[in-house]
Amino acid sequence: MNPKSSIGCPGVSRRSFLADTGTGFTGMALGALLFRDGIVRAEGAEPAWTPPSGHPHLPPRAKSVIWIFLCGGVSHMESFDVKPELNRFAGKSISDTPYASVLGTEGKDVIGANPAHGNRKVILPLQTGYKPYGECGLVVGDWFRHVGECADELAVVRSLWTIHNDHGAQLTWQTGRHPRELEHPTLGAWVSYGLGTMNENLPEYVVLGVPTGDCCGGAYTHGASYLGPENSGVRLGTDPKNPLPFLRPPEGTLSSEEQASNLGLLGRLNRLAGIDYPDDQNLRARIKSYELAFQMQSSVPETLQLEREPEHIRRMYGLDQDPTRTFGQQCLVARRLVERGVRFIQIFHGGGGGGAWDAHSEIKSNHTQLAAQVDLPIAGLLKDLRQRGLLDDTLVVFGTEFGRSPGAEGTGRDHHPQAFCAWLAGGGVRGGIQYGQTDELGFHAADNRRYVTDIHATVLHQLGLDSRRLEVPGRKRLDMDHGTVIREILG
Amino acid sequence: MISSGHIRVLRGLLLVACLRLVLSSAQATPANRAALERHYDRFLPRALGQCRTCHLPSDRKMPESLDEFPHNPFGDRLRRIGEEAKASGTRLDLGARLAKMADEDSDGDGVANQAELLLGHNPGEPKDTPGPGELETLAVKASGFSRFLTGYRWQPFEPVVRPKVPTGGSGTPGEASPRRVGNPIDAFLSEARAERGLKERPEASREVLLRRVFMDLVGLNPTPEEQRQFLADSEPGSYERLVERLLSDPRHGERWARHWMDVWRYSDWAGWADGNQVRDSKPHIWHWRDWIVEALNSDMPYNRMVTEMLAADEVAPEDPAALRATGYLVRNYKMLSREQWLEDTVKHTFQAFLGVTMGCAKCHDHMVDPISQREYYSARAIFEPHQVRTDRVPGELDTARDGLPRAYDSTNSPTFLLVRGDERHPLTNQVMVPDVPAFLGGKIDVREVKLSDGARRPDHREFVLRDTLAASGKVVEEAVKLLETTQAATNAVAGRVEEARIALDLAYKKRASLEAVIEAERARDSGLPTAGVLATNATLLQRMESVAQARLQEHKARLVLDAAATNKQSEARQKLSEASQQLAKAVDRLAAPLDSAFVPRTAEVYPPTSSGRRSAFARWITARSNPLTARVAVNHVWMRHFGQGLVPSVADFGRNGRPATHPALLDWLAAEFMEPTGSGPGGLPQASWSFRHLHRLILTSRAYRMASTSDDADLERDPDNLGLWRMNSRRLEAEAVRDNLLHVAGSLDGTMGGADVDHLKALTSRRRSLYLRHASEKQAEFLQIFDGPGVTECYQRRPSVIPQQALALGNSSLALEQARLLAARLTAAVGDSPERLVAEAFSRVLGRRPTPAEERECLGFLNPAQPVSNSSSAKARQRAVENLVLVLFNHSDFVTIR
Repeated sequence: MNPKSSIGCPGVSRRSFLADTGTGFTGMALGALLFRDGIVRAEGAEPAWTPPSGHPHLPPRAKSVIWIFLCGGVSHMESFDVKPELNRFAGKSISDTPYASVLGTEGKDVIGANPAHGNRKVILPLQTGYKPYGECGLVVGDWFRHVGECADELAVVRSLWTIHNDHGAQLTWQTGRHPRELEHPTLGAWVSYGLGTMNENLPEYVVLGVPTGDCCGGAYTHGASYLGPENSGVRLGTDPKNPLPFLRPPEGTLSSEEQASNLGLLGRLNRLAGIDYPDDQNLRARIKSYELAFQMQSSVPETLQLEREPEHIRRMYGLDQDPTRTFGQQCLVARRLVERGVRFIQIFHGGGGGGAWDAHSEIKSNHTQLAAQVDLPIAGLLKDLRQRGLLDDTLVVFGTEFGRSPGAEGTGRDHHPQAFCAWLAGGGVRGGIQYGQTDELGFHAADNRRYVTDIHATVLHQLGLDSRRLEVPGRKRLDMDHGTVIREILG
Repeated sequence: MISSGHIRVLRGLLLVACLRLVLSSAQATPANRAALERHYDRFLPRALGQCRTCHLPSDRKMPESLDEFPHNPFGDRLRRIGEEAKASGTRLDLGARLAKMADEDSDGDGVANQAELLLGHNPGEPKDTPGPGELETLAVKASGFSRFLTGYRWQPFEPVVRPKVPTGGSGTPGEASPRRVGNPIDAFLSEARAERGLKERPEASREVLLRRVFMDLVGLNPTPEEQRQFLADSEPGSYERLVERLLSDPRHGERWARHWMDVWRYSDWAGWADGNQVRDSKPHIWHWRDWIVEALNSDMPYNRMVTEMLAADEVAPEDPAALRATGYLVRNYKMLSREQWLEDTVKHTFQAFLGVTMGCAKCHDHMVDPISQREYYSARAIFEPHQVRTDRVPGELDTARDGLPRAYDSTNSPTFLLVRGDERHPLTNQVMVPDVPAFLGGKIDVREVKLSDGARRPDHREFVLRDTLAASGKVVEEAVKLLETTQAATNAVAGRVEEARIALDLAYKKRASLEAVIEAERARDSGLPTAGVLATNATLLQRMESVAQARLQEHKARLVLDAAATNKQSEARQKLSEASQQLAKAVDRLAAPLDSAFVPRTAEVYPPTSSGRRSAFARWITARSNPLTARVAVNHVWMRHFGQGLVPSVADFGRNGRPATHPALLDWLAAEFMEPTGSGPGGLPQASWSFRHLHRLILTSRAYRMASTSDDADLERDPDNLGLWRMNSRRLEAEAVRDNLLHVAGSLDGTMGGADVDHLKALTSRRRSLYLRHASEKQAEFLQIFDGPGVTECYQRRPSVIPQQALALGNSSLALEQARLLAARLTAAVGDSPERLVAEAFSRVLGRRPTPAEERECLGFLNPAQPVSNSSSAKARQRAVENLVLVLFNHSDFVTIR
């Protein structure tokens, strides 16, 4: 489908198409930069609106974002919002505890119409141990003990809620909108759109791991919607042996001089085609993707040369062990992408279908096994970024689509959009912070309730962007879309 | 429709539901909220779907009557209006009652009921009243609501009623065209555009239109010759004739088969061949793919297609051609889990044919659509008895090599509701009866189907007998040959010659006994008087075969003994003695008095009846009164011509989906699809459920023929083109990209149908892409890069633009090879003229002529100034042509439908 092939942008003219897309292969970088600086503009009609200049609106605190997303819904009470009261009242109905009032709806925006999804009442005790970590004393479930060691880097937001009771909420996490509303720009797309690239060799928005399944957002979870496909996330494999399909022409068929000269002609022809279709975002994206692809023939294999990393670094990310290898590779590649100037790296874990973390039953074995895949690599990533000084301007975000119910669903926990947590680290965020609160059972986000887009707003703010200034004419955004910066966690 | 009796019962239920809910948590009350929502739709604020909107707050424990849970003034008035109407002999539904009291002020707070409702305040609670600031926003809300009340309602769960075709507003001023009258699609669209102040774009150029139609109907570029013909044809009706011609082009079936393979989830088998691990789907499922192609090419009515896919084994049990259609069900086969298998079947059947997300109700009642968990399991009961098997096909006895995978009913397993969808917790005290969700209306009428012998015992069909006999005859021929060669050998050994002689004798006897057994079985099955005699004959011949068999064994044992080393002799002697005893036994049996106890052929026997559940379900789906079947199908077709569905969420017509952008148009198309008006080509009555009719309607509309170029004002007004003021540019699907690479270079192998082609040969095979193997872990990488179909579901492609696509078209051996081939053809065709070469290259690859600027660029690239004097520069020149073609393969227009 391609209904959204246009930005509602009155300033786009035949002339500006050429200006916007540069003047050919060699002119690309210059053209793009001039365009971003607002020097080359269509003559004549003064456009009322101009696309972002690529300059931040505010002094930025971060340059890059690593956006880790765990698909399926991670239990908040057993990770970063530990609730010991669940052990105390294990097996009791919530109605028979001092916290029975959490079941009432007075003054609370209860999500989801189905009692079976929202009202698991018999309390399931914590399925893992927990202990405090760091100077801040952040209590973390044992499943995340390695991340726990980085407690003083983390700002945990414990008062998140979301608007959908099923895994379509994965799309909500990325766009802020209900999945019913289909595609909307994801956070990564806004970043790409707002800031553009810091390098000409790699995409500014890279997607690692297996994204959310088609049931629950699919490619929309890294899409750009009306911002145009040039701002959508580009999926990359992380296997050094197979960096990119069709990376090079077969031996002896096409010299790199020929490739370059072909690309030159192609760029000129595509730009000529753009004269008739100046608002064709796919064409713009395609021109860019060809120039990028040419560069990626060398930049991607180079980025994926993980064997060049010293052994102790590879171990930090768990590359030496089976359970952690895949996700560890993704985290290590993420760091290498940050070093090479990629703006936004979105790592999916447990993607496909509704998501691997969706532990309706046997949550203990499910979360034990999955956490064992991500815990060490994430901690390794944080420590490695810190030791290289990269954490100062790299913002790492750890999120999921919703929490899990305090009440039991057999041996598992149900979806729980009323409360969940996420954490941010680096990029000017204060470490060792616990922001917001759920009630004692983790049922409702109680104090300082925050919606998904507040995280988006915070990320954009750290990058120096004000999402209200990124609005595209004709594309109404709601207050809810913009969210509010969580200033309390900023340094 | 719901009777008044139902209403009473419903109301009673509502009350009970409501009372209970007040006391527990005030979750939504599905039915009365639904009634309010139906009337106010999106204008009903969330807070007003609650009990308190009509009732006084109560803290009574378990109230048992209305007296204990009384109405507030609003609810009271609502009830009284209903009763007054009833007393005067009329019945007012909730909407009518709400409309009637819209301007009244039930709670006496000075603000009318409807105003309070629209502003989110309780109309039955005087203390809850809007402030002055809110009242200022009333006018906007009220006018929006009144537009909503008078506008065409999108009611996808109500049967399709053909809307009136708008009469005014059609046509754009200042443009005269003889074709502009007539197509109702344009009447609907024009009216909708006028409301939004949008203009209709002019018709696309003939070149653009030609390629668009070719791409949409056959998925391939028009050839330069076809382009010249069409551009030169200025006769009226040339466009319509083109559409007609392409609709009957066999390649049309291939193009659209791939679309429907997306929706119906075509998958070849997945798993590993060694170890017989067929995990998903089944081998030879490609017969179903071929059925889809053929069905489309013969314009099989959609209702028939659906029926055959769901239940050909019940409606056409003896028709192997139709049985192929049940590949639709076979595709869901899951070796590892019957649960998953049935879950996929239920979920996707409802999604593909009805746009209903039934799968959500597996573990609990559907959260937004009125589907209970019980109804999910009733739907599952429709499929519970079915299984899959592979029948023989003519000419191949070995079903591992070819066969017909098909569905049939085999089990009587009861269906139970699974608590929380967990198969470990079935509610075994109640067997679920096959049924369909009530909200879609209708019932299913299950009648058991008696199956004929051919369906029950497929190996007794004539062709299987013929093939079996032929195979046996072939064994005789081979035995004859072996004997001849053994005899003719210069170093012929007597023992070996004798062995071949005995083997030939055995082959003869085998064939004879097989013939006799077949004869005997046939006579017995038909109850012929000769059955007894023939059975005795078969027994005799089988005994003779046994003797020949034993004789061969004995002879072989003797040869072994003759050749045995000293230390092996006693063992060999023992073997020979055993073989001799066997032979003696066989000879004795031959001499024994005859009886009729022959050994029948081993052949599968299946149940004599089928439950009839699936055919009943198919009748319900394809009934004129089913609200969704036609709407969903029409929407799928529309999306594939316009790039966006009239309902943007093509696989969800429920409340979680998106409402139709042009509900009246979609309803009209659905009605026209089911009950066509007017006549088809040649003046014959137009058949119903005809995709061809639908394509024809759509493609001959002005809307379809519009240019995809922009208009500044409309772009600003409607950047998503929801009002269809222009055609959408679309990216070619993966298959069309690959097919066209081959087609424009003249390499495409047009062979239709047959077994799946190894996906690893995607770069070397020249067959159309729909024939490439497509299954879990077996997908052509080239296609996946261009957003090829997902295996588990693919109701809609989501085209991306990523650098990997540039690498695939720029670096793959496929692209390079085809560029080389096309370059050679071009040079051969146009010789030394660079201008002609550029024109021909554009025509072939992009389906259009180059602009002067494009021509200049390309001529510069070919560098014709260079003298063609020696072979090395001729080679260089040809290389430049190859590179030019490669560049055009990578041109944005190559992968774009403009």
